[in-house]
Amino acid sequence: MNASNLRRTVVAVGVALVVGGCAAVEPWDRDVLARPDMQIVSDPIEAATDEHIYFSKEASSGGQGFGGGGCGCN
Amino acid sequence: MQLKDKAKPAVRQIGTPLAAATCTLLGLGATGSVVAQELPPWDLDTSLLIYSESDGRVRDTSVTARARKEIREEKFLDLTLAIDSLTGASPSGAVPASTVQTFTSPSGNSQYTVGAGAQALDTSFLDTRTALGASWEMPIARLSLLSLGASLSDEYDYTHAGLNARFARDFNNRNTTLSFGLALANDTIDPVGGTPVPLTPMLGVGAGSNKRGGQSKDVTDFLLGVTQVLSRHTIVQLNYSLSQSDGYLSDPYKVLSVVDPVTGSPTAGPAGSGLYRYLFDSRPDAREKQSLYGLVKRDFNGDVLEASYRYMTDDWGVDSHTLELRYRWSFGERYLQPHVRFYQQTAADFYRTVLFDGTPLPVYATADHRLGEFDGLTIGLKYGQATARGGEWSARVEYYTQTGNPSPGAAVGALAGFDLYPDLNAVIAQFSYKFGRR
Repeated sequence: MNASNLRRTVVAVGVALVVGGCAAVEPWDRDVLARPDMQIVSDPIEAATDEHIYFSKEASSGGQGFGGGGCGCN
Repeated sequence: MQLKDKAKPAVRQIGTPLAAATCTLLGLGATGSVVAQELPPWDLDTSLLIYSESDGRVRDTSVTARARKEIREEKFLDLTLAIDSLTGASPSGAVPASTVQTFTSPSGNSQYTVGAGAQALDTSFLDTRTALGASWEMPIARLSLLSLGASLSDEYDYTHAGLNARFARDFNNRNTTLSFGLALANDTIDPVGGTPVPLTPMLGVGAGSNKRGGQSKDVTDFLLGVTQVLSRHTIVQLNYSLSQSDGYLSDPYKVLSVVDPVTGSPTAGPAGSGLYRYLFDSRPDAREKQSLYGLVKRDFNGDVLEASYRYMTDDWGVDSHTLELRYRWSFGERYLQPHVRFYQQTAADFYRTVLFDGTPLPVYATADHRLGEFDGLTIGLKYGQATARGGEWSARVEYYTQTGNPSPGAAVGALAGFDLYPDLNAVIAQFSYKFGRR
């Protein structure tokens, strides 16, 4: 997958999700989704720790957020 | 009584100060409303991490604290502090040899030796890193959220300063969230003894003619994301991110061995230095990374399955796939959460395990294993338990391993008998404590 294909895929999926709307879950049915363990990032410290470790040891980064501070990691 | 009932919605809509003023004008006691609006105290999360690689390689002991508070109604301040203490040895990039190898330390003040057949580890690695982060999150109108942040980190030889912003808006009765993020950073590296000029040879003690002053880079990150509620039990997220780095992107501590193309033996370095020939790392001064990230979270009667996948590609030739799975088994106030992570990357175009004597030097070359071809695997288990005061403590232990391959054609002569890409094995142990409010 090259760069422009990647961009097109993202835009297409994004538009489909927004326009399609999916089956709406009403506010009073949000009990499960409101639980702390159902949040997108349920443990921010663990997420930041992992991001820092893998950023230091692999050539990849990004995905869910920005690195909270660069490092000259060896 | 009727008037008092009518005053309550006003409190929610226009905030405490105005509501208090209104109540006062209406001749009502505002005290009750103010008490009802009192904001909760700070939420405090803390953690102790030990990351330890086998064979005396890197060891990091890290302490993190994160505090969050609703300062004004629906406006949050988030502060983080992390202190890392790093010790151990880091691979220099040089390959093993049949003889003892001598290296000048990065500072240029001393030397160290590596035994015959051993992996070249630079043992002078010691650092403390302090990182600070702050962010301010506030609603914009009814459906949007803006967060503004800053990050700073400082090591002996490295400083980072960054700013970031994220804007999110809800649609479809809050079933869809679109978010856009931007982060700017400026990092400076200033090694003791200077930054080596790329592809110049390692010199003897006290010789610094190939060293320059501190170097810097700028990093710009964009993020575009969609979060979608699929059902009462399922939520998904899809993010696209673009990261552009410009400036000094080489690693001043990494070298490449220059070996004989037939025997694989090291070749002589600068006259009178007593060293073999090792050339300093050289990377392009720009890099663009793009990634596509997808996450699914699903509840199964109180248990939670989390699956994510990331594809990353950059203009250095690195493509990577990351697949992660977590399953949280809940047992009342306790949970057990296994975790597995699969990672795979291709090598950068200019990754070379060695350089060959007598062949023209490439413009860019690195022997840094992190830019080589390898697979990573993480297996972990976490246990967590709620505390009586409404907080939580948790502990996790994970095992991380990397298995890689040298660049094609590198294993010539004597090198065929050595492990040119030693495995990396590390243990991650973390204990976290979230303070309760009760």
